[in-house]
Amino acid sequence: MTALHIPASQSTPSVTSSWEQGLLTMRGDSYPENSFEFFGDVIAWIERYLKESSAPLRLELHLVYMNTSSVKAMMDIFDILEDAHRGGRQVSVDWFYDPRNERVLDLADEFREDCSFPFQIAADG
Amino acid sequence: MADKTLLSPVERELVEQIETLLADPTHTHNPLRAPLAALFASSEAQRERLERLVRISDGYHLISRSQSLTLSEQYDRQLRRLDKLARISDRYQNSLRELSEALKDAALRDPLTGLGNRRFLMERIIEETERANRKGEPYALAILDVDHFKSINDRFGHEAGDTALNQITQAIQNGLRTYDLCGRWGGEEFLVILPETSLDSALQVAERIRRDIQALTIGIHNRSDVRITVSLGITLYQAGEPYSQTLDRADNALLQAKAAGRNRIESA
Repeated sequence: MTALHIPASQSTPSVTSSWEQGLLTMRGDSYPENSFEFFGDVIAWIERYLKESSAPLRLELHLVYMNTSSVKAMMDIFDILEDAHRGGRQVSVDWFYDPRNERVLDLADEFREDCSFPFQIAADG
Repeated sequence: MADKTLLSPVERELVEQIETLLADPTHTHNPLRAPLAALFASSEAQRERLERLVRISDGYHLISRSQSLTLSEQYDRQLRRLDKLARISDRYQNSLRELSEALKDAALRDPLTGLGNRRFLMERIIEETERANRKGEPYALAILDVDHFKSINDRFGHEAGDTALNQITQAIQNGLRTYDLCGRWGGEEFLVILPETSLDSALQVAERIRRDIQALTIGIHNRSDVRITVSLGITLYQAGEPYSQTLDRADNALLQAKAAGRNRIESA
């Protein structure tokens, strides 16, 4: 299974993926009851892509609210990308924020702190 | 043969001296040669074992040292991650708290006039009713309704109507005492709560507001003759009654003021 598509729910963002384009997109709020289960699938897809493909990987994030366990899962994902990047893989993150909610800009900046791979933060528009 | 590099110079000299003696053919028949050779071999074997023991032991030491370094690095890394997690999480929590405060404000405030809305007024009436019963000091309640408001909207547009409501709001607030409360009760209806106030005092405040509004020139462009009046119904809270009765009485007084020709105050 190389396709990962999860429709958005009340408490979880939508997830779409394209193995061919090396692109994973998440959009919405994230406060699932079981973050490990939800992000487990996302992490599994990323790890599998990094293992089986040698093409670049890009994450496109349009996340608004995240609970603490989602923040942790997201940090885990960025760690995986950081390891891949140090191992010579081409990975990148594009974080889009709602220009009406400038606070998310600071949050994304905080996430970016320890990442040495390309990590862009831009207003959604 | 054991490694000689670990020996001290004196020890090394001794070992080499014995090796030389044992190798010398002139000592072949010396009766001490055979026991010395055996003793030397046994000593060398011991030395070799000792060195191996030290090597192995050093190896273990190195492994455990590097393990503990890794562990402490991991620990530091986890601490940094936890720090970061808390920081990010706190930021999310703060923005949620601000959002909830903004929502609460929006839920209780009328966006046009900035006054408390009907929900806000209901909360305050309940509070004032409890206080009045506790202290035995009644509050006065006034309902103010703009006369012929619809015709302002019809003649000059809704923007003019909004301007009029804002000017009326200003006039009411100017006329009130600091501890009186005013809110927007409905479309062109305002409600005023006057805590611990006699009917006479309430009527004086109401009359001041009525006159001030009558004197207003509504700021509609190109016009200076647009005047507006209001009618008021006033009542006093009666100890023990549910506040809905007080509201009904004020409403009836307002209807009487309207029926009697508007731009006036009736009390009940």
